[in-house]
Amino acid sequence: MSATRSPKVSERVAPKPADPQPPKKKRDEDDGPDFATLLHAWIESHRASLVDSLRRLGKQPIGSFFTCLVMAVALSLPMGLSLLLNNVERLGGSWQRAAQISLYLNLDASSKDGEALRDEIKNIPGVAEAEYISRDQALEEFQQQSGLGEALKELPQNPLPGVVLVTPNEVDKPALEALRQKLAEMPKVQQAQLDLVWVERLAAILKLGDRFVFGLTVLLVSALLLVIGNTIRLHIENRRTEIEVIKLVGGTDSYVRRPFLYMGALYGLGAGVLSWGVLAFGLDWLNDAVVGLAGLYGSDFALAGVPVADGLSLLLGAVLLGYIGAWIAVARHLRELAPK
Amino acid sequence: MIRFEQVGKRYANGHVGLHELSFRVRRGEFLFVTGHSGAGKSTLLRLLLAMERPTTGKLLLAGQDLATISNAQIPFLRRQIGVVFQNHQLLFDRTVFNNVALPLQILGLSKAEIVKRVDSALERVALSDKTDLFPGDLSTGQQQRVGIARAIVHRPALLLADEPTGNLDPRLAAEIMGVFEDINRLGTSVLIASHDLALIARMRHRMLTLQRGRLIGDGEAGV
Repeated sequence: MSATRSPKVSERVAPKPADPQPPKKKRDEDDGPDFATLLHAWIESHRASLVDSLRRLGKQPIGSFFTCLVMAVALSLPMGLSLLLNNVERLGGSWQRAAQISLYLNLDASSKDGEALRDEIKNIPGVAEAEYISRDQALEEFQQQSGLGEALKELPQNPLPGVVLVTPNEVDKPALEALRQKLAEMPKVQQAQLDLVWVERLAAILKLGDRFVFGLTVLLVSALLLVIGNTIRLHIENRRTEIEVIKLVGGTDSYVRRPFLYMGALYGLGAGVLSWGVLAFGLDWLNDAVVGLAGLYGSDFALAGVPVADGLSLLLGAVLLGYIGAWIAVARHLRELAPK
Repeated sequence: MIRFEQVGKRYANGHVGLHELSFRVRRGEFLFVTGHSGAGKSTLLRLLLAMERPTTGKLLLAGQDLATISNAQIPFLRRQIGVVFQNHQLLFDRTVFNNVALPLQILGLSKAEIVKRVDSALERVALSDKTDLFPGDLSTGQQQRVGIARAIVHRPALLLADEPTGNLDPRLAAEIMGVFEDINRLGTSVLIASHDLALIARMRHRMLTLQRGRLIGDGEAGV
């Protein structure tokens, strides 16, 4: 049985051979729709669902805004922490001095030897800077910093070696170790010491931070799914009669589900945009204080804003989360909405 | 069109809605199902709409066995049926046009086709001038006619109506029945559940009488 009538018999018979140019068979108005019509109708149905969802959100602007805001806060917290960690990592990268290699020279190495070695080291790939501290400079600094000035004057000779401080281009443990090995084998070098404690501490802090951000993300994404699920559940409750009628007149589950999925995605989009705005504003606001603090340490460090790629990922993630949250909510409640 | 073969329906709480019901409805037939409250009229309609499944027997609608039909097929089955409810089940936040257009939107017809068919359906129930109004702006009789227009707009092979004149005065009830007869003349099978025996008797169509889930009468009304 079909809801549409079959083509009329007169339209099904072949045209008479005598007809010079048989007129093209006109589609019966009751024929089933062709593929192009169906495709157009499918697109139209999606457009209508999207417009309907926008209209319903627009009808409750304050409620919709606050739902988006709650979601935005849930998104901003892990994203903001992640951006701060990225900045700290960047800061760590600029603290190459924390990974300086100290080359202690033989006691018989003269200042000329030290300066020659410094110049040679400067040309080695992976080295950003090399500084030579002569034996006399070292003693002077030690006297000033240790407070043992008078006692050191009693020594028969300067016990401190000349030092070349090598600053690497990047802080990468294996590369630094290789560089240290290479420098240790150079002439007049007695010992090459790599101080990675700060680098390792920073890496450990960043790792901890990453884990914290991951845990927080999982927690807040779950909360976000609950928020969107609950919001969509309320929309479903408000449209219970409509859903029952749609099901009774032949609407499939996907037809019923569609406007709610659009609604979830739109909530996600709104939350993503708000979150991006909050993060951009928040980082800009923090930046003044960070620049001031960094200036006190002689650094020109400044917080980077929200990179466009990260912002777009945030938007996409938010839309997906909204969509998934809505899907879960509709799937859960659709079965309860059998027509009565 | 419809074939009930020893169809029984027993609910989880033990209540028996239908006892081994057997009858046939031909394509294009006009049929009343009557009986007191609790006789099984609503159960029968619910089975035909695949809102419930028979627990025993075989129920065929246009060749499809409703006892074994898959959930995924149910929406497509319902697209071949038009339903009119006693309480109209209209959507009050949509215009008359959009209420009637709903089954066509679900079918995925083009805008032009939807406009054409909705206009035609509203014309058939004499509501052409009410397209842009909301159901709340209409009288009860007009709301029922909107419900009928929505039920016939997709040209179903079968029209089911559950107490369609229950809330209407006798004059409006007769008018609505006239609309059903017009629809039936175009080839649509019509099955109406009603307990308005006086109205049924005047119309002289086949009438099934149910009592406590059993078929106790099958013949022409008023004879």
